[in-house]
Amino acid sequence: MGLRGAGIERGRPLRFFFDGTPIDAFAGESVASALLAAGVRSLRASPRAGAPRATFCWMGICQECTVVADGVRRPACRTEVRDGMIVLTGTVP
Amino acid sequence: MSRETDVVVVGGGPAGVEAALAAAAQGLRVTVLDEAPQAGGQVYRAPPHAFGGTIQRDADPIGVALRQRLAASSVVTCFEHAVWSVSPGFRVDALAPDGPASWTARAVVVATGAQERVVPFPGWTRPGVIGLAGTTIMLKSQGMLPGERTLVAGQGPLLLAVAVGILKAGGQVAGVVDLASPADWAREWRALASRPRLTARGAGWRARLLRAGVPFLYRHAVQAVEEVPGGLRVLLTRVDRHGAPTKKVAREYLVDALAVGNGLTASTDITRLLRAAHHYDALRGGWVPTLDAEFRSSLPGLYVAGDAAGLAGADAAVADGILTGLTVARDLGAMTDTAYRGAIGSLRRRARRARSFGTAMARLMAIRPAHVAAIPAETIVCRCEDVTRAEIDAARSEGAQTANQVKAWTRCGMGPCQGRICGDIVGALLAAGEAPREPVGYFTGRTPLRPLPLNLLAGDVEYTSLKLPPPAPL
Amino acid sequence: MTPGLAQETVDVDVAVVGAGAMGATVALHLARGGMRTALVDRGEICREASGVNAGTLTLHMTRAALIPYAMKGRELWLTTERWLGMDVVARSAPGLSLAFTPAERDMLEKRAEARTAMGAPIRILTPAEACRIEPGLNASLLAAAFCELDGHVTAYLTGRAYRQALRAAGVAIIERMAVEQIDRLGQGYRVRGARQVVRARRVVLAGGVWLETMLAWLGLRVPVKCLINQLVVTERMRPVMRSVVGIASGLLSLKQFENGTVLIGGGWQGLGDPVRGGVQAVPENLIGNIQLARHAIPALGETRVVRIWLGLESETADAMPMIGALPGLDEAYVIGCVHSGYTSAPYMGRLLADRILGREPEMPLFDPTRLVQAAPNAVEEMT
Repeated sequence: MGLRGAGIERGRPLRFFFDGTPIDAFAGESVASALLAAGVRSLRASPRAGAPRATFCWMGICQECTVVADGVRRPACRTEVRDGMIVLTGTVP
Repeated sequence: MSRETDVVVVGGGPAGVEAALAAAAQGLRVTVLDEAPQAGGQVYRAPPHAFGGTIQRDADPIGVALRQRLAASSVVTCFEHAVWSVSPGFRVDALAPDGPASWTARAVVVATGAQERVVPFPGWTRPGVIGLAGTTIMLKSQGMLPGERTLVAGQGPLLLAVAVGILKAGGQVAGVVDLASPADWAREWRALASRPRLTARGAGWRARLLRAGVPFLYRHAVQAVEEVPGGLRVLLTRVDRHGAPTKKVAREYLVDALAVGNGLTASTDITRLLRAAHHYDALRGGWVPTLDAEFRSSLPGLYVAGDAAGLAGADAAVADGILTGLTVARDLGAMTDTAYRGAIGSLRRRARRARSFGTAMARLMAIRPAHVAAIPAETIVCRCEDVTRAEIDAARSEGAQTANQVKAWTRCGMGPCQGRICGDIVGALLAAGEAPREPVGYFTGRTPLRPLPLNLLAGDVEYTSLKLPPPAPL
Repeated sequence: MTPGLAQETVDVDVAVVGAGAMGATVALHLARGGMRTALVDRGEICREASGVNAGTLTLHMTRAALIPYAMKGRELWLTTERWLGMDVVARSAPGLSLAFTPAERDMLEKRAEARTAMGAPIRILTPAEACRIEPGLNASLLAAAFCELDGHVTAYLTGRAYRQALRAAGVAIIERMAVEQIDRLGQGYRVRGARQVVRARRVVLAGGVWLETMLAWLGLRVPVKCLINQLVVTERMRPVMRSVVGIASGLLSLKQFENGTVLIGGGWQGLGDPVRGGVQAVPENLIGNIQLARHAIPALGETRVVRIWLGLESETADAMPMIGALPGLDEAYVIGCVHSGYTSAPYMGRLLADRILGREPEMPLFDPTRLVQAAPNAVEEMT
């Protein structure tokens, strides 16, 4: 199960998309968890240095894991995955 | 249209829920608002309903009971509501999944808990480096490991909780790196002895980690993290008793995750926003609202309970929460003074006992000025805007004296987190060492308390139905 | 005076009270003109209106009579590297004022005409022409007024730029000291604060919304109105606009900075007063303001609001500035209450400095005498 903790019964399987790539996940997981489990290390690039960033505080404060989920910018750690969800990197071009 | 109620409680952790239940029991109309999908706060964070198995069975029974009592009460609960403004009077604005909502209330209880503090080091912004408190949330509420092999570093009681949580979930712990020495822990023996249940749990955790062969490194800190093929190389250095690191690399670890945290700070967004009085207390989590003995802030009608009033831990939050709820009930005329006096005596004693343990833990988590002073110049301090220590130092040498001036001159604290992650560190850098924080001040509280997606806030509205003020003069 | 604190005395030729862009500019030019100058503020340099305003350089929102001054001020902002020694990231950009209803179109045309008469190069565009200049616009507009001479400044950098220029010019900078009283002292003035006393031959009051209080120290009664403007900034976003956008009524100002953040203003009011400063943003006014902003530039809906703050703007009874010598006093001056004052501050400050240095100002000042209601209590002579 990789980074998914042992012995945990997760919700039903579902699939969403990150920058066009299908990602398998389970109901109840946050976008941050599902992407981490799928091996996605970086969620966005920082504005000045362009360096990779990912989930840091896991409580919706630091905004490092900001992505665009179904058209809305929000922290991935505070966004529950849904079947068919379209998630894009939070990088601002 | 704003909904009207007697009391709005912001935060559904132990302090907020207990305050809400106590006030509601006296007949007041109480609404609890929280960002999370369920009550419990960070300490008793509930796993998602969709999860089953061990994660539900292992959920802390205190948190389960808290949620059951709340559900059985008259308290109105609004979860997934991110409060973004509290205006005097009071009006509370939140963003719900379906758009904005607001309440008017006679009293507001702030129970927003605490948040992570990490003393920056080169590489702390890399993916795979996560907060210690954040790691407890991943483990408890998502059943997720930060990595296959994780190094746990920083200070305070979360070190053990995280390391054991990782083992339990089937992960590897490369080591536990503690800024404190065993003597620092021993100094808190009196407080530890006062809470035998918690102390025994800590001892059990330590034994379990030792059995698993996890090395403990005391008086060490992370010097830097580098990206290498296959993961992160973490460089460790020894620190002296003030927390000042030496230059020499003492140890290297190759891991794929680093869980690191240097204690917590009180979440004072709302009390700052309302310009309530604050003071700096390094041993209670930095800037904290100045309260009277019954949890009233300097602003009439505004109360603070739990870690948002200064770190004291989850047990103290329960007793303090009940006391706060009763104070609100008394102040709003829902309870006689006699009944109030009768109710608070034993609670006060309970609160004091709980607080002595919590504050001992907070002491172990306190920021060490020498640790901050040693942050290398090129290290990013403000993650949102990539502002380095060197840029902050340059502003300081040009004459910037306050946190708000440094913000204006460098953009430090101007990004989406609004200085919540870097604020305490910037203050420590400006104060330089043991100097008082008061002249440096803190980032002024501003709305929104969380970034607001503009489309959700604006809603669907026709131009002709916009309510516009009169035009500006020619 | 705080007991137990020894007060230091500073002797100068001129004391400037209030370190916003107006006061700081006057101080800078006086020092460069050879006067020993002290600049006193209860806070830090340009941390009130001059550091927190929207940084809009626009003739669309400037009061018609002040257009010639604003055009000069704009030039100075765009060249701060030359005269302040630091770029405050001021940029020239086209300015558009929009109309979405027939009533707004009428207002737009009338206002453009009045401003053009004062020398602003403003002309009316069709919707198609406006969208060519600013492709991000909501195409449902009815008309737009266009001005090439607009732009924006990064207002929060103002204090940093002025501070180093003032230091280099040898101005005695006295920050974080509230002035408690100004007394007349023989041939000059004594400016008293908690830590220091400044003795000066001349005094310049440049206190923005606090001018009413300051003028009362000198026995003059001049009502000053205080506006509490709300400002909103988004997080960084992809480039969605390149011009400065407003609407005919003046209730919107929008610009995207080079760092990608978008600043939304327009004078929507928050809570506050001169005593407490800006106290609190009003949520309803935020929502109205961003609804208007998103209507003008629909792509703004993609981003998030990260911060709302308040800036205090001063206004006299006739909404025109007061800049010049104070009546009945020797060598006492006032500068402030200039609509679009940030835009014209570098120029207005230079005009007053010229007057104090005995040079003929390039354009007329704004005699404060017209605004003085009565002189209830004359300043007591101190010896």
